[in-house]
Amino acid sequence: MSAPLLEVNNLQMHFPVREGLFLRARAFNRAVDGVSFNINPGETLGLVGESGCGKSTLGRCITRLYTPTGGSIHFAGQDITQMRARRLRPLRQDIQMIFQDPMESLNARHTVGDILEEPFIVHRIGDRLWRRKRVAELLNIVGLPARSATRFPFEFSGGQRQRIGIARAIALNPKLVICDEPVSALDVSIQSQILNLLVDLQREFNLAYLFIAHDLAVVKHVSDRVAIMYLGKIVETAASETLYREAAHPYTQSLIAAIPVPDPHRRAQREVLRGDVPSPINPPQGCSFHPRCPRAEPQCSATEPVLAPLADTHLAACHLLARNG
Amino acid sequence: MALLEVDQLITEFATDEGLVRAVDGVSFEVEAGATLGIVGESGCGKSVTALSMMRLLPQPMGRIAGGSITFQGTDLTRLDIPAMEKVRGRRIGMVFQEPMTALNPVHTIGRQLTEGMLLHKVCEPANALRAAADMLDRVGIPSPDLRLGEYPHQLSGGMRQRVVIAMALACEPDLLIADEPTTALDVTIQAQILELIADLQRRMGMAVIMITHDLGVIAETCEQVVVMYAGKVAEQGSVFDIFDRPAHPYTRGLLASIPRLETPAKSRLGVIEGMVPGLRDLPIGCRFENRCEHAIDRCREQVPAPELLAAGHTVSCLRWQAL
Repeated sequence: MSAPLLEVNNLQMHFPVREGLFLRARAFNRAVDGVSFNINPGETLGLVGESGCGKSTLGRCITRLYTPTGGSIHFAGQDITQMRARRLRPLRQDIQMIFQDPMESLNARHTVGDILEEPFIVHRIGDRLWRRKRVAELLNIVGLPARSATRFPFEFSGGQRQRIGIARAIALNPKLVICDEPVSALDVSIQSQILNLLVDLQREFNLAYLFIAHDLAVVKHVSDRVAIMYLGKIVETAASETLYREAAHPYTQSLIAAIPVPDPHRRAQREVLRGDVPSPINPPQGCSFHPRCPRAEPQCSATEPVLAPLADTHLAACHLLARNG
Repeated sequence: MALLEVDQLITEFATDEGLVRAVDGVSFEVEAGATLGIVGESGCGKSVTALSMMRLLPQPMGRIAGGSITFQGTDLTRLDIPAMEKVRGRRIGMVFQEPMTALNPVHTIGRQLTEGMLLHKVCEPANALRAAADMLDRVGIPSPDLRLGEYPHQLSGGMRQRVVIAMALACEPDLLIADEPTTALDVTIQAQILELIADLQRRMGMAVIMITHDLGVIAETCEQVVVMYAGKVAEQGSVFDIFDRPAHPYTRGLLASIPRLETPAKSRLGVIEGMVPGLRDLPIGCRFENRCEHAIDRCREQVPAPELLAAGHTVSCLRWQAL
């Protein structure tokens, strides 16, 4: 196997919660709290979790929109964890991002042509003629007519705007694309168009994706491997088929059971997970899932479980599994 | 007679570019105690249908331009405002998608919960707070007495939606209209809220209209289903008709486009090409004609009327028998 494209090791992103007259940090929001994973070239890692679990923060650390407060990020062998902006710039061609709401991530005052040309100008690639040709190519790749270049973002529907966002992300032939909830604002019939497009682009350009979403069915559909996040930590990771068929962590099991199945013959008498996700500012002691866990035991509130292998590539952080394993 | 009969409902909006029909000839029935699902994508008219039933259309742009909404024998479209206010919140409750916008941020939970009960005189003022606390307890909010004095921002999203449900159910309505009640919530919280609605429905015997874009939610909660597209009903029937024997190309397309846990990763999903037409440039014939892979010339000219396939299962497609 080739070397991983992205190696994330014990990554931490603690945001200070400032209060009082001198805005001293009274506490820390442990949005990402010790996360490790790899992504290989051309591979999709899906990252699933509920709101506030830190999945978007993690994506923003990897694109270095945030500078992590601990741990390391290696991209193509280089340590980019604390790298300065000037040295980071050439690498930004290789790591791109697709956002949830394309309307907010596209400049409303620029034409689509200008928006798609900008990455080439920033990175000083090609002359004007070449750039215009490349914009037309990009529009074609994402399934938009060439005349879109002269229009403005508001003239497009949500699905078309997401196609523009995707065209911008792939403009510089990146190696890794962070997709942060790329289809959650779209209608189902449009969502499937975008998911098919992302899978096609991956095959054509050997893109690696970090696919972040709250919808496990969507994530499982596009991912080779899936990691489940809860309160800033990965609680389980496995190949996507394994995760769905042999989910081991109680949280993953509850998450799967909670998804409404589009089949009236399979109305589940499900075990509904009680309570809410606790605050990452003051996470529970021990296993952070124990207050909601239907199977919690005394040790779960005392010590924190570590991510341990159940099988080759299947890891879970749960005391009950470690003991039975 | 059914609890609610919507017959040929037409709802129009006056816009800068003229009159548009957001709902065009929609008919369905809801039996007492039953659950009806209305499913469709953004802009299909499902929320406008709900607002029409509640007579809460944005004024002065929106108006019911035709048809009837017969609820417990009374045509709601003909009621004057005071009479409608006696129905709204009392006989018909409504839950909205975004609990933060449905709650008033500057009033306590207790005040908002008792407002409806006092207005509709379902309890004595002296007992109102007691009744409100009971209601919070029924929707599964811990330490309800403490919560009565709190403000919406002090609650989590799931708890806020429980408060909104408690408000909608405070007067024990006969019909609850839930417009995307779980769309803004996480999936584990969604499961809690859906279970709560089903449980309260069983105990209070009310009927529910569940409006959603999520076919999973429909399959889990509904007995009867209305599939809407561009302001019209494309297909309706029992939940088994819709999922086992979908007849309209749009229903089939929707079902094929959802990623399911059991389908292999990176397999191709079904797509419906193109997008929903704007209300100002609707196709003349079938409204789905420009996205339908089975469309023939006749579909571009003739508006399909609902045809009965089997008892209770109707489809508005000229070609359903050929497909």
